[in-house]
Amino acid sequence: MTGPAWFRRGADRELEAELRDHIERLTVDSIARGIEPGEARRRARLEFGGLDQMKDACRDQRAFAFLNGAGQDIRLAFRGLRATPIVTAVALLSLALGIGANTAIFSLVNSLLLRPLPVVEPQRLAFISSPRAISLGPLAPSTAAWSYSVWQQIERRPELFDAAAGWTTARFNLARGGESQFVEGIWASGSFFRTLGVPALLGRTFTEADDQRGGGPDGAVAVVSYRFWQGRLGGSADVIGQRVTVENSPFTIIGVTPRDFFGPDVGRSFDVAMPLGDEPLVRGRESLLDRLFLGVYVVVRLRATQTIASADAALRAVQPQIREATLPALPKPELDRYMTGPQGFLLVPATTGNSTLRGRYERPLVILMGVVVLVLLIACANIANLLLARGAARRHELSVRCALGASSGRLVRQLFAESVVLAIPGATGGMVIAWWGSQLVVRQLSTQTNTVFLDLAPDMRVLAFTATVALVTLLLFGMMPALRNAHVVPMEALKEQGRGPTSDARLRLTSGIVAAQVALSTVLVVAAGLFGRTFASLATRDVGFDRDRVLLVNINAQRAASDSEQRLPLFERIRDAVHVMPGVDAAALSSVTLPALSGGLALIYNVEVEGGAPVPATLLGGVANGYGNAVSPGWFHTLSMPIVAGRDFTRDDRAGSPRVAIVNQSFVRAFLGGGNALGRVMTLTAARDRTWEIVGVVGDSVYATLREPVPPIVYTVLAQAEGPSRMVSSLSLSIRAAGGSPMLLTRSLAAALTAIDPDLTFTFRSLADQVDASLTQERLVATLSMFFGGLALLLGALGLYGVTAYAVSRRRTEIGIRMALGAAPATVVRLVLSRVAVLVGIGAAVGTIVSVWASRFIASLLYGVTPRDPATLAGSVAILAAVGVAAAWLPVRRASRIDPAQVLRES
Amino acid sequence: MNAPKSDLPQGTLDMLLLQTVALGPIHGYGIAQRLQQISRDAVQVQQGSLYPALHRLENRGLLASTWKPSDTGRDAKFYRLTPTGKAQLKAETANWARLTEAIRLILRTADGGAL
Repeated sequence: MTGPAWFRRGADRELEAELRDHIERLTVDSIARGIEPGEARRRARLEFGGLDQMKDACRDQRAFAFLNGAGQDIRLAFRGLRATPIVTAVALLSLALGIGANTAIFSLVNSLLLRPLPVVEPQRLAFISSPRAISLGPLAPSTAAWSYSVWQQIERRPELFDAAAGWTTARFNLARGGESQFVEGIWASGSFFRTLGVPALLGRTFTEADDQRGGGPDGAVAVVSYRFWQGRLGGSADVIGQRVTVENSPFTIIGVTPRDFFGPDVGRSFDVAMPLGDEPLVRGRESLLDRLFLGVYVVVRLRATQTIASADAALRAVQPQIREATLPALPKPELDRYMTGPQGFLLVPATTGNSTLRGRYERPLVILMGVVVLVLLIACANIANLLLARGAARRHELSVRCALGASSGRLVRQLFAESVVLAIPGATGGMVIAWWGSQLVVRQLSTQTNTVFLDLAPDMRVLAFTATVALVTLLLFGMMPALRNAHVVPMEALKEQGRGPTSDARLRLTSGIVAAQVALSTVLVVAAGLFGRTFASLATRDVGFDRDRVLLVNINAQRAASDSEQRLPLFERIRDAVHVMPGVDAAALSSVTLPALSGGLALIYNVEVEGGAPVPATLLGGVANGYGNAVSPGWFHTLSMPIVAGRDFTRDDRAGSPRVAIVNQSFVRAFLGGGNALGRVMTLTAARDRTWEIVGVVGDSVYATLREPVPPIVYTVLAQAEGPSRMVSSLSLSIRAAGGSPMLLTRSLAAALTAIDPDLTFTFRSLADQVDASLTQERLVATLSMFFGGLALLLGALGLYGVTAYAVSRRRTEIGIRMALGAAPATVVRLVLSRVAVLVGIGAAVGTIVSVWASRFIASLLYGVTPRDPATLAGSVAILAAVGVAAAWLPVRRASRIDPAQVLRES
Repeated sequence: MNAPKSDLPQGTLDMLLLQTVALGPIHGYGIAQRLQQISRDAVQVQQGSLYPALHRLENRGLLASTWKPSDTGRDAKFYRLTPTGKAQLKAETANWARLTEAIRLILRTADGGAL
């Protein structure tokens, strides 16, 4: 508050009058003592001292004096910044980009890693996890998944916790037939909303009464999210009671959840939630509730008196009972491990919710955070340099003001005010850039099968972060020029008038800042190079199959063939029909599509080859020693995978005929030491009484992810599948197009599939897209680090240009004299360029050393390139040198065109 | 210029100003004059610190001011003590007395002691 202007001006007038009155009286008294009036006036003024200084000093004593001064400072600052629009614009832009990048990445860190779930007292929530789940590593969810019967046992023991809820996630198909329309779904226990403390925005949430096998009193019910209500249901108020068809079954909508509730999974936003008990309505006899691996996550709410440790102890006390009550039909060794030791209960905090993204993105995000901090430092250096340069240009003005009586504190304050005036819009602009940028990043994370949602609405934590960043930035770039220019010696500055060599100190400071900028830019360019090469190595990695011509169709036949025994024949009919369609070169079925984690399903085995060496389980965090895939004859041909020994599956490999398998070359190396594989016999997990004979060897391919070294893979034939794997409701049809993009086939395929059976539902995806989707994280890190590296280069180039241009203008006289004495323009060019070379050289050297040191932090994210890759380091230095020359080009040209005659006339 | 002038000890200017104004409404120039007379030129009040000090005291509510006609025929700004100012002056005078007495005692002890 600076008070209304008239008030301030009135107070100023009064002050002036009071002080003049004093001088007047002093004069009158002198005259009375017989001093001649002119002389008396002069003495009075001398005795009284500087009127303006006195006014300043008095103003400082007034109420809100500081703010009053600040108001004046800020007005002056605006005027000053308006006077140099280009400098101001560059400074503002660098600042907004720097703060924006930091806020954007922090928003992501915040929403993925830090922010508590939007529920009541999230700090009292805990997951029932297991030591093994926690050790599973980055690809696994934050907590363990239990069978439905384990969940029921916990549900039956309300004395353990204040409340407990179980849920599992699923993608629900809303289409009645034809191409699938997936939404994100949750199957949840009746206690789910009560445990989380989430009320209904509209209608009601479901309760234990609704969570009955086959539906409660209101039948099959569903609660929808705010987003789903607004989006698909049009946000109408009469939505309660409406029907929604999920997986071909009708559900009654009974409630809408609040706007900020996205579910218990961070990185995902649910659309429809339904009681676990309604699951059999959708899946019928194939309900997963009675199977071993439905995968129910369990979240509990601790009592106010409970700690994690005490609740954990109580839970472990009942673990043996729960184990006894839920013993599954597993063979001996697996059964002994069931719910004991590492597979037992372990309670972990659930404040920030469950997430499968967290493990994958935690490290990249932390590294990106480091990257954007460096970018901000470079931006700060730039602004500091710009303000320093402007400060130098205004040295004359400042010295005049100093000579006229402005205190040096006042000058510092005013220079600082300019920084404040820059920082506020800079931070605001940064927030806008961050809002937009972080949304963009989240969109990049989504793939066709995995829609990523993060709540990016800025909360107190983000605002506090941005404010802190802005403040630190302000101190960094604002204080330096302010202090630097505070020591203006009026007389010298007045004499100097912008000529002469007094500003060497400033040049040294500026040069130091620029060298530091070059060093930071080097680090960022090296990082961009390493991440870029990582992505390039992965993207161009030989995956072992033809990704470009293949279309994947995931077909769900659950409704089309309700008799599960009829499904495999139906799938084979579909394959045969598609195989002869025009434009189709080959078609084959498989249970797994590659890369498996991108396709959503992986088969894992623990394989023993008779007479072969045992192979330890090292895959997927130590759960298996081999991967599997069940395919139809012709699958290898469809994906252009070579059969290097033996034969492909044929139609004669059917149920009842001897069980056969095909393995890849990596399998032969790992299990058979590279020897002959054909005719060898092996057993696969959990079925030690059955054996498979190896009849063929195929070329190697990637399996789970592109990063993984080529793993051992066992292929079995779909026709020989037994038990539950024979009753699969969905399979993938891989189709190789005869020519052109495989996506062109989708329309005719959709027609053909619907013609075969209108109840079939399916999704299309090109194999290339699925491979790409597995590189989402790497692509994002590479793109962002290259963007920030480029930004750093741009800012560094601006800094270099500025300091070179300034140096040239400083040495104009010297250069002029040299040229007059016969120096050739080439000599002048060398003179200026050598300066740039020294700055870039020092900066790049320091930057390289820092990069080599810092590379250890990113080593785990790299692929196909060593952290200290000499080519990347050399390339980065070369890029910086090129940018240095480019930045120096204009000033150098100007220097070489200095007209000696004119310079000599001037001096 | 006879006796060497000493600077005012920190914080005493405010007290002197309050004491001076306590004698009746007075303008800035008058205060400067009176201070000089009372202290017989021994204490020099820098012109530079007089007005800021007056404004500070006014701002803290210890002094109040009004503009009224003065001997020169023009309006001048007259300062007077507020009740708060009166209380403050009393407190500071008492404080000052205690302090000077203490210093006097210390000095006397030092004089008569081992030194």
